[in-house]
Amino acid sequence: MKKEENSKGNRYGMVIDLDKCTGCGLCTVACASENNISVLYDESDKTRNIAWLQIYTITNGKDFPDTEVVYIPRPCMQCDNPPCVSVCPPTATRKDPNTGIISQIYSRCVGCRYCMAACPYHARSFNWFDPSFPEGMDRYLSPEVSPRMRGVVEKCTFCHHRLMRARSKAYAEGRRELKEDEYIPACAEACPTQAISFGDLNNPEHQVSQLIKSPHAFRLLERLGTEPKVYYLSAKNWVRRMADNYLAGELS
Amino acid sequence: MDLALIPNGVQRCSLKRFVPWMVLWIALISWGLVSAFLCFFKGLNQTNMNHYFAFGLWIVFDLSIIALGAGAFFTGFLTHIIGEVFIYPFRDNLKAVVNAAVVIGFICYSSAIAMLGVDVGQPLRAWFIFWHANVHSMLTEVSFCITAYLGVLTIEYLPLVFSNRKLREIPEIDIFGNNLHHIIALFAAVGTFLSFFHQGSLGGMFGVLFGRPFAFREGFLIWPWTFFLFIHSSIAAGPSFTLLCVWIAQKVTGKELITRDVFNLLAKISGWLLATYIVLKIVDTIAWAYGVVPRAGMSFMDFYQGSYGIWLIIAEIGIFGIIPAIILITPKFRERNDLLIIGALMNVIGIVLDRFVFSIQTLSIPVMPFDKFMSYFPSWQEWGIAIGAIGYGILLFSLSYRYLPLFPQEAEMNPVQVLGRAVTDSGVIKRS
Amino acid sequence: MEFSRRNFIKFFAGGLGGTLLTPLPWKLIDDIAIWTQNWSWVPVPGKGKFSHVNTVCTLCPGACGIQVRKVGSRAVKIEGRSDYPVNHGAVCPLGMAGLQVLYNEGIRWKAPMKRMGPRGSQEWKEISWDEAIDTLAARIKGFRDKGNPEKLAAVDGNQSRSTMALLIKRLLNSIGSPNYLRMPREEDTHSMVNFLMQGFDSPLTFDLENADFILSFGCGLLDGWGSSGRMLNVWRRWATNDRQHKTHIVQVDPRASNTASKADLWLAPSPGTEAALALGMAHVIIKEKLYSKEFIDNHSFGFSDWFDEKGLEHKGFSGIVLGKYSPENVENITGIKSRVIIEVARKFASANAPIALAGRGKGTFPGSLYEFMSVHALNALKGRVNNKGGTLITDDVPLAPWADVVYDSVANNGLTKERIDRAGTLRYPFTRTLIHKFAEVINGSHSSPVDTLLLCSANPAYTMPDNQSFIKALKKIPFIVSFSPFMDESSMMADLILPDHSHLEKMVDIVRPTGIQYPLYALSRPVVKPLYRTRHTGDVIISLAKRIGGSIASSFQWANFEEAIKERVSGLYDAGENKVSWEDVKKNGYWYTPRHFFGKRSDIFKTASKKFEFFSTKIELAIKTYSKGLRPGKPSGLEGKSFDDALLNLGISAKGDEVYMPHYEEIKSGGDKNEYPLLLLPIEFINLATGWIGNPPFLNKTLFDYQLTKDDLFVEVNPKTASRYGLTEGAKAILKSPKGELSVRIHHFDGAMPDVIFIPFGLGHTAYDRYLKGKGVNPNEIIDPIEDPLSGQPVWWNTRVKLIKI
Repeated sequence: MKKEENSKGNRYGMVIDLDKCTGCGLCTVACASENNISVLYDESDKTRNIAWLQIYTITNGKDFPDTEVVYIPRPCMQCDNPPCVSVCPPTATRKDPNTGIISQIYSRCVGCRYCMAACPYHARSFNWFDPSFPEGMDRYLSPEVSPRMRGVVEKCTFCHHRLMRARSKAYAEGRRELKEDEYIPACAEACPTQAISFGDLNNPEHQVSQLIKSPHAFRLLERLGTEPKVYYLSAKNWVRRMADNYLAGELS
Repeated sequence: MDLALIPNGVQRCSLKRFVPWMVLWIALISWGLVSAFLCFFKGLNQTNMNHYFAFGLWIVFDLSIIALGAGAFFTGFLTHIIGEVFIYPFRDNLKAVVNAAVVIGFICYSSAIAMLGVDVGQPLRAWFIFWHANVHSMLTEVSFCITAYLGVLTIEYLPLVFSNRKLREIPEIDIFGNNLHHIIALFAAVGTFLSFFHQGSLGGMFGVLFGRPFAFREGFLIWPWTFFLFIHSSIAAGPSFTLLCVWIAQKVTGKELITRDVFNLLAKISGWLLATYIVLKIVDTIAWAYGVVPRAGMSFMDFYQGSYGIWLIIAEIGIFGIIPAIILITPKFRERNDLLIIGALMNVIGIVLDRFVFSIQTLSIPVMPFDKFMSYFPSWQEWGIAIGAIGYGILLFSLSYRYLPLFPQEAEMNPVQVLGRAVTDSGVIKRS
Repeated sequence: MEFSRRNFIKFFAGGLGGTLLTPLPWKLIDDIAIWTQNWSWVPVPGKGKFSHVNTVCTLCPGACGIQVRKVGSRAVKIEGRSDYPVNHGAVCPLGMAGLQVLYNEGIRWKAPMKRMGPRGSQEWKEISWDEAIDTLAARIKGFRDKGNPEKLAAVDGNQSRSTMALLIKRLLNSIGSPNYLRMPREEDTHSMVNFLMQGFDSPLTFDLENADFILSFGCGLLDGWGSSGRMLNVWRRWATNDRQHKTHIVQVDPRASNTASKADLWLAPSPGTEAALALGMAHVIIKEKLYSKEFIDNHSFGFSDWFDEKGLEHKGFSGIVLGKYSPENVENITGIKSRVIIEVARKFASANAPIALAGRGKGTFPGSLYEFMSVHALNALKGRVNNKGGTLITDDVPLAPWADVVYDSVANNGLTKERIDRAGTLRYPFTRTLIHKFAEVINGSHSSPVDTLLLCSANPAYTMPDNQSFIKALKKIPFIVSFSPFMDESSMMADLILPDHSHLEKMVDIVRPTGIQYPLYALSRPVVKPLYRTRHTGDVIISLAKRIGGSIASSFQWANFEEAIKERVSGLYDAGENKVSWEDVKKNGYWYTPRHFFGKRSDIFKTASKKFEFFSTKIELAIKTYSKGLRPGKPSGLEGKSFDDALLNLGISAKGDEVYMPHYEEIKSGGDKNEYPLLLLPIEFINLATGWIGNPPFLNKTLFDYQLTKDDLFVEVNPKTASRYGLTEGAKAILKSPKGELSVRIHHFDGAMPDVIFIPFGLGHTAYDRYLKGKGVNPNEIIDPIEDPLSGQPVWWNTRVKLIKI
């Protein structure tokens, strides 16, 4: 449980501006099609479908017509202090000390689901079923991401294969450092209102490093000490309050 | 038919009565096997578990039977170590149940491991836990310890198996069995060490979940308080469970198998351990409610909603904790047969509730404020595996009782009938 | 050795021990683990060379630029094209899930099919393309040779300006049938407003990119309205403008839709009273003299009271608005506080570049004419007509015309016949196509006046409000031909299937995508080779025309569809500033003039008055002509009577000069208010396909479990309304209208207007594959449409219903 800060190297992180997010669901679709995510007949069963990036709805609880709806896209939080990594018995999930990204090795996972019990964000999905793609749809599967077998846990990897792609390109050009826009996960790239920003939190010049300094920046369940690298922005007080649990007296 | 296999000096029912009894339990085992088959071939979609309830009935069952199986190591520990070195009455009295305790322990651990084999999504590569072991994981510790301990239990069980009349006719087996018998204290010591650790790790599994304020506990060095509480509660419940099993065996066979003193001693040990456990559990709960809970920004009542209400903690600590503790530590109460059994049963229920609370309630509680409370009910396949495990337990216990000298006091207490009625040592008249 | 039990045990134990000492068991355990990592039933994506193909998404008329990532010959991912002028990188969820439309074997027709069993039995026989085209050609020739070419009808869902639509229309023309029907869209109403008030027969467009105040009367700007890729991109621009220039958005919506939630201000008037709200704001602007005096004085007609050439006095728009639509009156009609009406009107008037937008949801269906006119009147008051950041009268794309159609006598004769749907007649003077009327006429006639119906890029059996009456009509039509690539509800009722390619397998164009304010021509190109034995409908129509022969063949001289497109595109070569070639257009996927030529205000309006008409002389002429026709030759004293009859027939309740001007008409609805106390309002989500394209599985992933759970669709109900019926969250209920009933579940939503039931369009399919079929219910089944005054388009958002607890 000790914190492992990787002050050297990269610390990839994401900032999602909830005031810009329109809840269109494109990030989820982009994620699913980028990462060969399987589809169930009954995708309405959110407790069993595969969703690396799930969108949650929150409302301000006010009566008509003062109701406001805000959407919270939830990828894997890629915690700096991940509750899931230390609990995995066969070391199938690890934090890359050079990127801060939490990996998941599908071919090593034994499917004990302890990591899912550990993660308060429900960022992990277990394959209760054999991976299913409607007839003929295996033709669009991308060779960059291996499809998962039944009985293993999967989760958002910040599109790790895109990092590999960007790295090989940079290395081929003789560069060691990636440019800010060279490596972007599919969701951030797709977001039509550009609500999702992505970059290296260790690099003060990257936009994300500036954004997280905003007084409107917050993370989900910060008090638990998981230190997520996914930040959110909202100018709305009630939205920021919804991100964590507060005692009656502790209004921030 | 099977007379040659039945131990000397004891009477067993006829095979005609024993076979239907077996058929019943084999039926339950078959239900379990069908369920396991479905889970292996179709995947865990056969269960009602889901992303929220990553753990379900099986984990509750595993945690419970491992806790209850603690009777084995703890009785062995008291008999062979404490009894030999410090408190001789323990050795003399507990010898009467130590065999039974070992069988119960073996049943509990072997069925727990079998259930875990179904529970993991990839049973065929479950051994990756050993090969790619992550030493930081409590579950790795549990896996290593319970596997090793099942080996110890097997070694402890073997001398008993080898003491079967027919098997002893083979000289090699007889010698092997005897030799094993002489070093059994060593295995008791190893077993105790392993057991303390995995009982603790099972508790630690939940105590380390800092993303789940309901389960999370502070602790000592790397061990959260649940580590110690799980050890404590398991040794409190283990003897009670052994006691219950023997009592049920007595009822079923219609014979006295151990003396009332032994019952008393088990109850007393169980009672005092439970009493101290409950005090610590209450301290722990209060410390948690005033420490972990407010720090997570939550209030105590946030955790008791939906179908898992405040009744759970009242039941666990109050009804099935304090009450059995009082019954079992009070000589006047535990000397009454009915209260003795009620006390032991409530003790066992209390510990099962504790394991249920840690595995199921933990997962039902939304941590993100915009998430929702969930509830869960197992599918018939999940029940099938659990009930199949019970069937397996009763079956193995019945076989062990029938063919092995499980209770050293039995022959003495139940002289082979000549007249149809007999007076036992304790002076109680029993029907045959 | 003696075989004894003891030896057997020894042998067995020894064997076991021995085996365990060998590497065999460990090797096996390892092999089994490796097997679990390579299960044969887990698909392994094929490898290949990576490439990118730029094209245009044609799943809707929005025409967003997309980039398709390919591995070898397979398409693996769709992304937005940041260099495309429509969407600048943004796409909608449907567009991004387009590969699931292409590759979903379960929904595609794989070859031409002939129906074998009775209709609906789904017994088909694969036939050759020759046989398929011959069958259709022979059928058409059959009734054409008997002099009844009008027995051919087509329902077309292609964008009205696209080459595909032109080609289909040309086919019907050359054969001689006037019965070319289109799926109605909101654009039709915008075109009508542009025609009646400004004299242009094209949809109004809006320079949203440059506006600083948006007053949207229900357009789901973020819910899929217009070209959704463009709208999302525009929204980003609005939101990222620095504080001072941030575009202010006011959304009028009876429900906290995504747009309403993200808007700066949300107004929720009673559904159907949007016109009154707009006129209430007009009242404030006129009363406080906040309007553009320059525009009103010089370029508008009918604002103040006026005298016609006969010397009769006519009321002006300003007088009527000042008299009838005071904020207090409007508050009574709409439920919006007069204080808010005044405040928003003032903000609108004081903005630099405000736009008032009329529309509903995604704009899939037409709106109410007078409502749209009322909203556009707000634009006119501020002079927001044909200027930067305002409404634009868009120039046409300079495509070259095709050679004229060659008509023979049969065709000439056929084209004089009245359209079955009566669109364009005196009764429906401004409406091009009335598909609900088409169904009504067929259902009302003894035998179907249509012999052969062509269904192109449309699925009216599912998408049409009150689809059941269309299905009834389909059952009466003797021969139905579907060109759909998909096994949709309509093609399931067809007799002959001539499947088109999917959108990524073919070249089609979209001319000036929905809502785009600049002349833009979008051209898609095939990304993958056709997967099945399908054929481009454009090519099929050309072959069909040739097969029918005669003058029809002469009208279709092209070798294939690409040539037909190429001929039109040749008009672009010399137009605009940059000279382009066919190859350029093909490569870029577009041709476009980024600048708007505003022209001189005094020259632009093509109305009789050469001005913007608050008082529409076209409506006046049309209604007067119609009323004369009602009682021909009757003495002039009865004129008033026949005028009243005309208004009654047209569904107009206003009287006098107001009839020709923007005004509020209370929309009547079928169903008794006491029996059906609630209002049913269908809603649309950007992540749920509602048109003829079935919702792909990825989009099912994005639906919330309070929208769809298993096969149950949720309707959104205000908690107060729901509790009045004792309906808890998730409760099952029957939703009943005079047209029928649906089984739904209840979702309590604070953001839903009380006494209104909000039901999503897009689910409840009875066709397609099991990922879509049977999930949810289709609101179209219980919609009880009435006709919109004057335009005659079906009003789909005003059905009265009741909830029955079960």
